[in-house]
Amino acid sequence: MDLTGGFGARYDGGQEATGLESLHLGDELRQLPPDGFTALLELPPTQALKLLHFTDSPSSSPQAAPIAPPSFASNLALMERPARFSTEHQQNGTNLSGETTTSSSVKTEPAETNSSSQAVNNRSGKRKDSDNKPKSSTKKKNKSSEEKEKLPYVHVRARRGQATDSHSLAERARREKINARMKLLQELVPGCDKVCLSDTKIQGTALVLDEIINHVQSLQRQVEMLSMRLASVNPRIDFNLDTILASENGSLMDGSFNCTAMQVSWPHQVIETEQPYHQHRQLQQPQQWPFDVLNQRAWGREEDQDHGNDHNSLMVGSANLHPNQVKMEL
Amino acid sequence: MAFAENHINTDVPEKDVFALHFLQTLSNLSTQNPFSSPDKKSDRVKKIKKAAYVSMARAAGCTDRLWSRALLQRAAKRNNKIVRFPRRRKRVTWLRRRSNRRDPVEEAAAERLRNLVPGGGEMKTSKLMEETAHYIKCLSMQVKVMQCLVDGLSPK
Repeated sequence: MDLTGGFGARYDGGQEATGLESLHLGDELRQLPPDGFTALLELPPTQALKLLHFTDSPSSSPQAAPIAPPSFASNLALMERPARFSTEHQQNGTNLSGETTTSSSVKTEPAETNSSSQAVNNRSGKRKDSDNKPKSSTKKKNKSSEEKEKLPYVHVRARRGQATDSHSLAERARREKINARMKLLQELVPGCDKVCLSDTKIQGTALVLDEIINHVQSLQRQVEMLSMRLASVNPRIDFNLDTILASENGSLMDGSFNCTAMQVSWPHQVIETEQPYHQHRQLQQPQQWPFDVLNQRAWGREEDQDHGNDHNSLMVGSANLHPNQVKMEL
Repeated sequence: MAFAENHINTDVPEKDVFALHFLQTLSNLSTQNPFSSPDKKSDRVKKIKKAAYVSMARAAGCTDRLWSRALLQRAAKRNNKIVRFPRRRKRVTWLRRRSNRRDPVEEAAAERLRNLVPGGGEMKTSKLMEETAHYIKCLSMQVKVMQCLVDGLSPK
């Protein structure tokens, strides 16, 4: 199986024995070949045999290994067991610590490039501490679980009594992935927490999705409303910076704009550089000055460097603008 | 599920990036048609709205996201500009659709989402969700920027 195959191969073969021994998995494990994935499962041999029947893909450990992190054994149910071993692993030396670091770094990689269910794999969780166990593993924790491998990367533990053919398991992995993203979306959308978070009911997900759709629609409507308001506020469409700032100068009370630096720099930016600014239509040219500036928020200083304008007079001038009140919440 | 969010990256830039892009696009708008001054409000509104979306797509990372790419391409098409992106087109055939998207209840809602999110027609459902999350974040940021702008510009 790829589980231990990958596991073993990850140790570059030479250190399989040490790796396995360090796991303290028991005698029967040492008897099994290094690519006997069941060793990791710590199940009694009978159950291991039963499991073996259900695995139809041949152990392709050597091939799986070079793909390194993705192919690493990542069984959901193994989270619990190896979680205990993780402390041992970390003690065990560079190889395992290398594992830990790679797996944790792998965890942060976008896993979308590989198979879809890889995301659900909790591959990284295998080496993490127990408190990081993903919820799905605890949900699916049960004794007589079957194991199934779809691709070299995916290891999903089936629920008790559920079919283990590739399609349903693949589908289940896919669904878990979707559910993970759904939870992410739920946190984004306000008011979505009221809907039940569990995915047991179909209505739950449908409601959440409806809520998300409503939110997206409302945001798009807001954009439209605001653009209408903007159009009405400015009689002309030419939103030159000086127009904006001129109008802002007149109506700057009440702390609606919090871009003191912007206010400071843009007036003279506009005055001094409006010609070149409009000549260079592309976005590249104007981007030079703003982005340096934006990053440092010291627009005045940047202006000096870029344009050699003395902004001191402008600072004084801007003082009249009540910079405290000229604040755009940024 | 902490692990799941580790590989779903939905960061959006800061608000000032959005603000900057928006104002730049608006300035560009004015310089695009220097001689024609549309007095009709609807044209102005449409232009501003389009500028908002385009600037949002640019601010959020031009080519990093599928929705931003689709949005920019759509906008460029209307302008009759030739825009080339290194695009990975994914022709999801009907057959694959069947195997990809199986849950009818969920897929009905996902279909609506596809219509809303630009470029959603070609994504798998899981990718669609990711794009939607990012899209929602960018939209809310854009709304905030526009709100600030309107508040600042509106006469007291």
